[in-house]
Amino acid sequence: MKKIIVLIVLAVSLFGGVSKGDKAVDFKLKTLDASASYKLSDFRGEVVLLNLWASWCGGCKKEMPEFFELQNEYKNGFKIITVNIDKSSADAISFMSSVEKTLSYKTPFVSLYDAKKTVPRKYGARGMPSSYLIDKNGVVQLVMVGSLSHNDIAELKIEIDKLK
Amino acid sequence: MKYLALVILLFLSGCSESLVRVMPYEKEYFAQDKMSLSPLAERAEQEGHIFLIREASAGGDSSFQGGCGCR
Repeated sequence: MKKIIVLIVLAVSLFGGVSKGDKAVDFKLKTLDASASYKLSDFRGEVVLLNLWASWCGGCKKEMPEFFELQNEYKNGFKIITVNIDKSSADAISFMSSVEKTLSYKTPFVSLYDAKKTVPRKYGARGMPSSYLIDKNGVVQLVMVGSLSHNDIAELKIEIDKLK
Repeated sequence: MKYLALVILLFLSGCSESLVRVMPYEKEYFAQDKMSLSPLAERAEQEGHIFLIREASAGGDSSFQGGCGCR
C-alpha cells in the first residue's frame, strides 16, 4: 500500500505545476527589446511578482496597468517581472507602448520575452494570466491564476507588505 | 506484476494528459477573432434573431421586429 501511495505522489508531482512553498524555478531571458537579459535569481533578496502574459489574452492586458501602478507604489524591496509568451515580441512591445502612452510614464518593471514558452511550461501555468508572488528567499508564497482586479491587487499589497 | 501494470497505467495516463490537452499558454490561435463562432457581432445578432423566429418561440431576442424574420 505504501508503495502505491509513493508512486501516486511521484506521478502527481511529475505533472503538477509550481505551488505555494515550492522553490521558484530559475530562468534566464532577454528583455522585450532584447537589450538586456535577466535571471530570476538576480532578484533574490527582493519580493518578486512574476507575471506570465500574452497580448492575445484579454485578461492579461486588462491587469497590466494595475502592475504599472503597483510597481510605482513599491519602489524598493519589490520587483515585478513580466514574462511575455507571444509568437512575436512586436505585439507585446506595441501593447506596452500603448499602456505607457495612456499612463504617461515608462514601464517601471522588468519586461522579459519568452518565445519558446519555457517559463509557463516550467511553472505548469494553469491559466493565462498567471502570477506568482515569490519571497526574498526565492520561495513561491502565492499563486494567482486569472486576471487580477483592483480588489485582488489590494489583497496582494497586504501579502507584499508581510513578505517585505 | 500488479505494481508494474499500475506504474505503466499511471505514467501513460499522465502522458496522455500532457500530450493531448492544449495548455492555457498554447491557446494563441484559439484567441484569434476568426476562431470565434460568431466573428461578426452585427451578423450574430441578426442570425440570433432569425434562429429564434424559426426554431424557438421566444420572439425576436434583442431586435424589435414583429416575427417574420425577414427584416
